[in-house]
Amino acid sequence: MGLLDSEAGKKRLLSIEIPIIERYNLDRDKDYQVKVQRVGGGLVLRYRLKPCHNVYELETRLTSAYPTVPPETRVLTPLKHCPHLLEGQTLCLWRQGSTRAASRWDPAKYTCIFALQAAWRWLACYEVWHETGDWPLPDAR
Amino acid sequence: MDFRPLNTLERRQLVDALRGNAESDRAILMDRQDTSFVGVVDEIPDEEVISAIKSVPCHY
Repeated sequence: MGLLDSEAGKKRLLSIEIPIIERYNLDRDKDYQVKVQRVGGGLVLRYRLKPCHNVYELETRLTSAYPTVPPETRVLTPLKHCPHLLEGQTLCLWRQGSTRAASRWDPAKYTCIFALQAAWRWLACYEVWHETGDWPLPDAR
Repeated sequence: MDFRPLNTLERRQLVDALRGNAESDRAILMDRQDTSFVGVVDEIPDEEVISAIKSVPCHY
């Protein structure tokens, strides 16, 4: 299924993803709204998060295979090297092994805003780790 | 980025919220305007659903 070039993909966008982005942006300060850009066969969401005192720039990529393939989120703001951070400052959120069955992403339940919220929680953990050296949550089992 | 650290109280509140979210399914609320941490709730009001971070089954 192509996100932008199949009926199922377009339906997903128009009935689920775009409405929830619009709802997220409602009443949100302009600097913190999600901005959507088409890139190739997918979409890139650009936004800022400020879990505590620091503001982070992020992007979440919805590839052409989204939602079957989970969104990929990376932090554009330079970070210190820390746990659960992959190459290119991509956040380790969903992958627990390499198979779809082992992924924690469920396309039937989650949306791109859910991915944004997962990134918020990751950044909150990062802020604690930055000061203490301890990641405040254990690895998921 | 000039990193501004949390003070002790802020860090304690945030850690409690993260652990309550992971272990007890308590939702974390982020500010509607700027996404900053507001607190935790057991029941999410309808108007806050989009700003409430439920327990997320992430890898970490």
